[in-house]
Amino acid sequence: MIDKLLDGKYHAIRKSVRDFCEREVKPVAAEIDKEASFPWEIVEKMAKLNYFGIQTPKELGGSGMDTLGYTIVVEEIARAAGGLGLCVTVHNSVAVYPIMAFGNDEQKKKFVPPLAKGEKIGAFCLTEPNAGSDASGIEATAISDGDHYIVNANKVFVTNGGVADTCLFFVRTDPDAGRRGISVLIVERGTPGFVAGELEDMSGMRCNQVSSLRLYDCKVPKENLLGREGMGLLIGLNALDVGRMGIAAQAVGIAQAAFEEATKYSMQRKQFNTPIANHQAIQMMLADMATQVEAARALVQRAASMRDKGLPFSKEAAMAKLFASETSSRVADMAVQVHGGYGYSKSYPVERYYRDARVTRIYEGTAEIHRIVIAKNVLDEME
Amino acid sequence: MALQIIVCVKSVVVKPPKRNKVDRSAGSIDLNPFDKPAIELAVRLKAQFGGSITALTMGPKSAETALYDAMSMGADRGILLCDPALAGSDTLATSLALSAALKKINDFDLLLFGVRTSDSDTGQVGPQVAELMQLPFVSGLESIEPDGQGFKLIRLIDGFVEEFKAMLPVAMSVHPSAVVPRDSSLSGIEESFEVKPIELIKADELGLDPGVLGEAGSPTRVAGMKKIPKEKKCEFIDGSDTDIAAKLLKVITETGVIS
Repeated sequence: MIDKLLDGKYHAIRKSVRDFCEREVKPVAAEIDKEASFPWEIVEKMAKLNYFGIQTPKELGGSGMDTLGYTIVVEEIARAAGGLGLCVTVHNSVAVYPIMAFGNDEQKKKFVPPLAKGEKIGAFCLTEPNAGSDASGIEATAISDGDHYIVNANKVFVTNGGVADTCLFFVRTDPDAGRRGISVLIVERGTPGFVAGELEDMSGMRCNQVSSLRLYDCKVPKENLLGREGMGLLIGLNALDVGRMGIAAQAVGIAQAAFEEATKYSMQRKQFNTPIANHQAIQMMLADMATQVEAARALVQRAASMRDKGLPFSKEAAMAKLFASETSSRVADMAVQVHGGYGYSKSYPVERYYRDARVTRIYEGTAEIHRIVIAKNVLDEME
Repeated sequence: MALQIIVCVKSVVVKPPKRNKVDRSAGSIDLNPFDKPAIELAVRLKAQFGGSITALTMGPKSAETALYDAMSMGADRGILLCDPALAGSDTLATSLALSAALKKINDFDLLLFGVRTSDSDTGQVGPQVAELMQLPFVSGLESIEPDGQGFKLIRLIDGFVEEFKAMLPVAMSVHPSAVVPRDSSLSGIEESFEVKPIELIKADELGLDPGVLGEAGSPTRVAGMKKIPKEKKCEFIDGSDTDIAAKLLKVITETGVIS
């Protein structure tokens, strides 16, 4: 049992999501990775179970769960299929959450219920060919034109891009205001000028429909401006604080899956007339994997609990994301090692975990950016 | 016609005992899977006719996880019959305690059970409770529909379909194939733990002689329990495709899967 210190509700959440994912997601995980296909049927079932409105209040169509519960849901989905965990965490934390946190009542009533019910999927469109870690370099423009903006944007590597209906676009509303000239617009697929590019052929998380999204002279009503003009980076950083915990939970899920597969395999595979689990060389790896997964999960759940208690959690979320993503890569790497040549074959799931884990150190803030965030917090605290 | 439904559920042990001691801590217990179709049927009947669903269980404090699961699926409240005096109850003592508790609870129209439990597998508690409460009982219910003043109850047995007509209140055990139980939604879980109530009933509220309860009131006793080791055998069949097909056919025929 994983959550020995947590209340019954969190056991129930983990068990319920795990049962669903074992039955519905795991059997197709290898196939949707191979085909890079989005499992719509499963997503519709997940929507009915509130996986697309985890922390959204009930009155807006969600389940009203806390952050701790949220991290458990994401971890369990990612344990079965990383790319689906990614879809859920990005949708919940950096698409729905910013509208909840910064949207006005009309925006919440209009955009949140269909997202929370999973009728529409959300995306966060920040990265551009020349802007990533340095979000202030955004070149997308939104020019005021009466009660509309005329928007031109080229966003790349958009998670959920191929399937998203409601997209948060980071655009420059004031070309001379530097970091303070960036704003967020809610743009819906189907708006004239909204073009989804080809799907990216990614190494891992392949069931997620990562694509570029472009806006060509797209007329976006001013009522779709989130918060005020110039608040873009504030909204982005705030959303990423929450998003980090989701990505960290996802990394823990992948690591947990890799650890479990390696353990099972080591008990079956025989070399020198005994299961390899009896060899200390393998036991060392199993012990390291188990310890590191537990440590990563503890950091994630600590950051989540801090947010639930209303405490500042930015540093802790960054630590959780950094540690969990690096843990995920390390643990998946060890799981491949335990499997030997079979681990390098697509016939075994650890090969997929190895690919899926890698990107958790890159997206929603690279490991390097997270170290900078943590260092800044640590130095500020010492002043 | 709003229906007041009570579903009796059990928290079953899913891990084998260690050193003859049964582990009933979280993670080692679960809602009896055979109770899930009964809860599902109750939820569907409530959606169709209105009313309320109460989940009732007897067991230690940890057994309330079965109630939370039932409430996550749609039961409105849970009742836990819990007292050290009830420890060691066999099916008869359990049925006596449950029927006494049911008399304390609100009136009901339908009393539902699973057909059996995955840990003790007796299938006795449902019919015994019905008998003690002088209620008609239909086992292995496949479907239920309104019929005049009462209900038509269909039961599948050994290649036959049996049809009963019953006036309310009536007790029944629900066949696992009757309905596919739903997954709990996150909002169902959230409501179950944060909103819906669990009421506790102690043994002295049952109005029964302590001698008929718990171990003292149990004519049967489990002397021991151990897990049956499952032996898996893996056999490779060699030869040409024709040979492999012939040998495979022989093996499958010998196991009785086909004849």
